[in-house]
Amino acid sequence: MSHMNLSEPLIEFRNVVKSYKNVLALNNVSFSLNQGDIFGYIGPNGAGKSTTIKIMVGLIRDFSGTLLINGKNIKSSYLELFKILGYHPQEAGFHRWKTVYQALRTFGKLSKLEKRLLDSRIVEVLEFVNLKEVMNRKIIHLSGGMLQKLRLAQALLGEPEILVLDEPLTGLDPASRYQIKNLIKKLANSGKTILFSSHILSDVQDIATKIGILNLGNLVKVGRPSELQSEYHVRNRIQIEFDNDIDILDQLQNLNYIEQSENKSANVILISLKVEADLDESIHNLLQFLIDNKYKLRRFNLLTPSLEDVYLKLVQGENNEL
Amino acid sequence: MSYRVLFFDELKGFYKSKIMIILWIGMPALSILIHYLIPSTEGFPVSSLVAVLVSNISGMLSSAMISTSIANEKNNHVYDLILMRPVKRYNILLSKFCAVYLCLIIATVISLALGLIIDILTIGVPSQYFLEETFKSLTISLSAMAISCSIGTFFGVSISSIAAAAILSVYVGNQVSAIATLPVLFIESLNSVLIALLVAIPLTFTFLIISLVMFSKKQF
Repeated sequence: MSHMNLSEPLIEFRNVVKSYKNVLALNNVSFSLNQGDIFGYIGPNGAGKSTTIKIMVGLIRDFSGTLLINGKNIKSSYLELFKILGYHPQEAGFHRWKTVYQALRTFGKLSKLEKRLLDSRIVEVLEFVNLKEVMNRKIIHLSGGMLQKLRLAQALLGEPEILVLDEPLTGLDPASRYQIKNLIKKLANSGKTILFSSHILSDVQDIATKIGILNLGNLVKVGRPSELQSEYHVRNRIQIEFDNDIDILDQLQNLNYIEQSENKSANVILISLKVEADLDESIHNLLQFLIDNKYKLRRFNLLTPSLEDVYLKLVQGENNEL
Repeated sequence: MSYRVLFFDELKGFYKSKIMIILWIGMPALSILIHYLIPSTEGFPVSSLVAVLVSNISGMLSSAMISTSIANEKNNHVYDLILMRPVKRYNILLSKFCAVYLCLIIATVISLALGLIIDILTIGVPSQYFLEETFKSLTISLSAMAISCSIGTFFGVSISSIAAAAILSVYVGNQVSAIATLPVLFIESLNSVLIALLVAIPLTFTFLIISLVMFSKKQF
């Protein structure tokens, strides 16, 4: 499995279905990842993200459909899978009586890493996640952020080609979130293929090269962030700041390319363009209108639709249909 | 390979756990206490009394310890990080069972040895008869403890609530491990050691195998 064929996807889900008794957790999920992809897997809580991940890392083996890792069916190659995959679970615990070093040493031995290289590798990963100074501290005395970093450290121990991170940023304070995000970015830059799940969109938007949106067990959309944004252009918005306080809303409502306008403050208005309106033409016409009416502008900003708009449209839209 | 790593890992965890400290220090201390609290054992060796007490207390504590340990690790997702490595599931349970059982054997032997030393110091070198009785007590104690540990493993795997797993394993462990000693009480001609082994070995294996099967099918 270490000799990868670059022409075929590194990871491929084909019509994967998983049910828990009468509950359908995953319904015909299909997607693929190539080497170097950073796949942001998003969806509300209970959408099936962790189920997908547990199938991928071999914790759930009773599923239908096919999962290929580097062209090989995972069901016949779990042992090989463990050699190339690092997993950061959402809420994995450790033996709390151990020190950070002892915990990593056990994981290293269980992963059958070379004993003579194990200690230096432990130091290396602890340096990477900024935990070296607490190497000899007992796990029971670590903060939430440190535990999250330790989960990441154990995932990196075997220098895996694929990293699977289940909600790596959940429950962290802003400083720890920032640090973990930067670590993921560093890993991505080093060429790892990463799949990480989150229910927080901004986390995914910052890092992912590919995004999968999961809702109620269905993979509703997969694509690159830019593709999703352009395909699901919800509405272009324009924010205009004037030199003086103005009362312009009534006039704007008469323009046929404007859907809605509102005052953000006395001298700032926010305009939503109609979906069908041509963006360039609308901007041109709007500027012309403002110049003709001798309004003094301080700032004119085009607000492109965020991934959040796409997500809300897909997820909320589907939930409302139920 | 993974069994050895897990076994020594569990051993390190257990030998300094609170319950094991009770066994390490408490059981030998019991040997001394019995001598001072019950000075008139009327020639009955302290070591035999210790064996009876140790089997009851250690069996109870060990079944609670092993069941709460498994239930707790299950609830805290400790196994997630082990199972996504090349580790056989049964090794996780077997290593835990063996580590706890080894700790118990050592604690029991220390207690009995101390009991024997007290006997030698107070009533002189015990007779062959008393030594045989002590050996029988030791075998029966270890048999009962093996049953208790396997029942603790069973409840740890099958129940998520830590409190329920502890209570059930203590109660059921006590009741079932008594089976190893009961036949001898009713039929005096029976060989108590043989009966204890004949009862304990299949019962321990049965509970362990059921636990291993359940654990291997468990979804984490």
